[in-house]
Amino acid sequence: MERAGHEVSEVVEVEGHIIDSLILAKVLDLVLAAGCDYETLDVDIGKSNRDVSRARIRIDAPDEATMSNLLVELQAHGANRVDQGDARTVAADADGVLPAGFYSTTNLPTWVRLGGHWVPVANPEMDCGLLVGPVGPDGQPVVRTVPMHRVRAGDRIVVGSEGVRVEPLERRRHGAHFEFMNSEVSSEKPKGLVVSQVAARIREVKARPPAAPGANGPGNRVLAVVGPALIHTGAGPDLARLVREGWIDVLFAGNGFATHDIESNVLGTSLGVSVGLGTPAEGGHANHLRVINEVRRRGSIAQAVESGWLTGGVMYECVRHQVPFVLGGSIRDDGPLPDTKANVVEAADAMRELLPGLGAALILASTLHAIATGNLLPAWVETYCVDINQAVVTKLADRGSHQALGIVTDVGLFVRELAEALCGPAPGDSGGGGPRGSALTGPARGPHGGPEEVSQAPAAVGWTQTGEARP
Amino acid sequence: MTALSWGRRYLMCRPEHFEVLYEINPWMHAEVRPDPDRALAQHERLMATLRDAGAQIELEDPAEGLPDLVFTANAGVVNGGQFVPAHFRHPERQGETPHDIAWFQSHGWRVDRLPGDVVHEGAGDALPFDPEGGEGPVLVSGYRMRSDAASHTHLSRLTGAPVRSVELVDERLYHLDLTFCPLDNRRAMVAPLGLDPYGRKVLKALVPEPLVLEDEEALSFAANSVVVGTNIVMPACPPRVGRQLEAWGFSVAVAPVDEFQKAGGGCRCLTLALDVVLSDLGRELLPA
Repeated sequence: MERAGHEVSEVVEVEGHIIDSLILAKVLDLVLAAGCDYETLDVDIGKSNRDVSRARIRIDAPDEATMSNLLVELQAHGANRVDQGDARTVAADADGVLPAGFYSTTNLPTWVRLGGHWVPVANPEMDCGLLVGPVGPDGQPVVRTVPMHRVRAGDRIVVGSEGVRVEPLERRRHGAHFEFMNSEVSSEKPKGLVVSQVAARIREVKARPPAAPGANGPGNRVLAVVGPALIHTGAGPDLARLVREGWIDVLFAGNGFATHDIESNVLGTSLGVSVGLGTPAEGGHANHLRVINEVRRRGSIAQAVESGWLTGGVMYECVRHQVPFVLGGSIRDDGPLPDTKANVVEAADAMRELLPGLGAALILASTLHAIATGNLLPAWVETYCVDINQAVVTKLADRGSHQALGIVTDVGLFVRELAEALCGPAPGDSGGGGPRGSALTGPARGPHGGPEEVSQAPAAVGWTQTGEARP
Repeated sequence: MTALSWGRRYLMCRPEHFEVLYEINPWMHAEVRPDPDRALAQHERLMATLRDAGAQIELEDPAEGLPDLVFTANAGVVNGGQFVPAHFRHPERQGETPHDIAWFQSHGWRVDRLPGDVVHEGAGDALPFDPEGGEGPVLVSGYRMRSDAASHTHLSRLTGAPVRSVELVDERLYHLDLTFCPLDNRRAMVAPLGLDPYGRKVLKALVPEPLVLEDEEALSFAANSVVVGTNIVMPACPPRVGRQLEAWGFSVAVAPVDEFQKAGGGCRCLTLALDVVLSDLGRELLPA
């Protein structure tokens, strides 16, 4: 019985002491306030005040969006959509292929109903299937996300959306701490404040106890995802400090970042441009190739460090402090470095291995690796995406990483200030924006603009709470 | 009026590992660390004040890495010989539950668990009120901030007690025990600041003589008080509230716990009443 003007219809059920707690009244008020209509299908009122009551209500909404917003709100009051049977599973019939009609995941906390129980999905990741595994120690089957290529014939995969529930990002979690995320993009925000707020969040994440194995929530590890512009802008030493002083636990980058980091530490140039002087070095166009060649000669970045050839920089600090890294390859890579994983599917799998226990991710001047990482992260990992180009932030959100907070600014200045906020003033730093002496190794370098990617525009700082507004 | 039938026996946990390591409510600031010696001294004084008020104290062992284990009010819901452990919303506190279960099991309680897909934070979000002339205790339980509305039905089925669900709306008053404090079978402190309009109505209908707290009074944690018969142990006592309580025949003792307020907890949060009986089921499970 569809009503005129109301396109979508769902039945919700609410039970409990819903009369005396005025929950039923509130639910019906919320339906009307949302511009929807209702019909109470049945109300079963408990005989004594100890008995629970139950009501089933048919809701008619003008459109899907209104209905889905209303259903999320009603869920907070204990009113759930009915027909929540068990999830249906189908065995995969071939390796690397999900069954037709597979449930395609989001990065939000997800629950799957099996045998009448809601089982949490161990590792939320978007654009995957849901694999129902064997029964775990708690007597419930283990459910995890599975990327298409990892499916094996016979795996039990969830099909359809019946029996799958997704939790929206919690509306008021962290309240005051996240308030600064809620403002629109503005170039008038004091950047120092923004940096100190990110630094405070990182400190808080690092202060958490480590997540228990298999814990369904954020841990205390911090991921950095970095692009080569970070080296070109002269922020390599600052990131190296953050690694050395233990603020970064995992690093994702590409061949270019590692190459320029090593080039700047061995030859003092980044893509052939002197990091100290900002001028092209004689024959500098081949510097990065010579560096790749020498690392290849030594077998790996770790061996380049052990042999004493590489003595500073981000990759050096990663090796020295056992910070795991993944260098994902791409088709235009020179060399590549022996550590670069040219098979991108293997690279993504290697990144997946390092995700457990993450609490925060800093995405710094990287587009390709930003999106790749955004695709893998559960929504509970606080993600800060710093780029001079707002399009990167937008792109990340458009692809579903709604938890990402965009900071539109020059990455070199941002990372430098973040390092100062977390590690104190840089040694030998005169405090201004001028070139500074060698904090680590090699030639003096300063935060001068490097080659073409680097913008000289004043740092406009904007905050974008990407994606949909929280419910 | 008849005094509360419960509130003479409490579980507490010494703050040997108490710290502010994370921020899960607006009172917590990782950079404002509590002073460990002052915290211990305040806790000792709270225990002494409660004992002077006539309460008996049981102690749970503290555990390293679980700084909020001191807030025993959140361990779970006690119903006679039945204990329903909390399911914490934040992973930071989830490690407390096995400790709490072990304590209750080893002290003879039957442990009944909520289903895994709902969250409920124990007596911090569930306080009984036994209205004069009513049909027995009603469990008032908060939801939205730290407990799910859906958990209330399960809690009611497990304990056999009727539940009044009230929505908490101010994140500074994130647990029910910051908003509601039963005093006897006619009276309770109630902070409208923390409640939505429906919740205010529910409590108005349940409590014949509410002591309605002003917003400032509520934010001083006045409702986070421990009632032992006609003695009330408060973290702070706003003058107007003190005068009303004394006019009703209560004696007020103030036990400052500001070191714990840095983590968002007051006197009530540091205690879990062990002598609450919500239903015949809980009574039958009590040791003979």
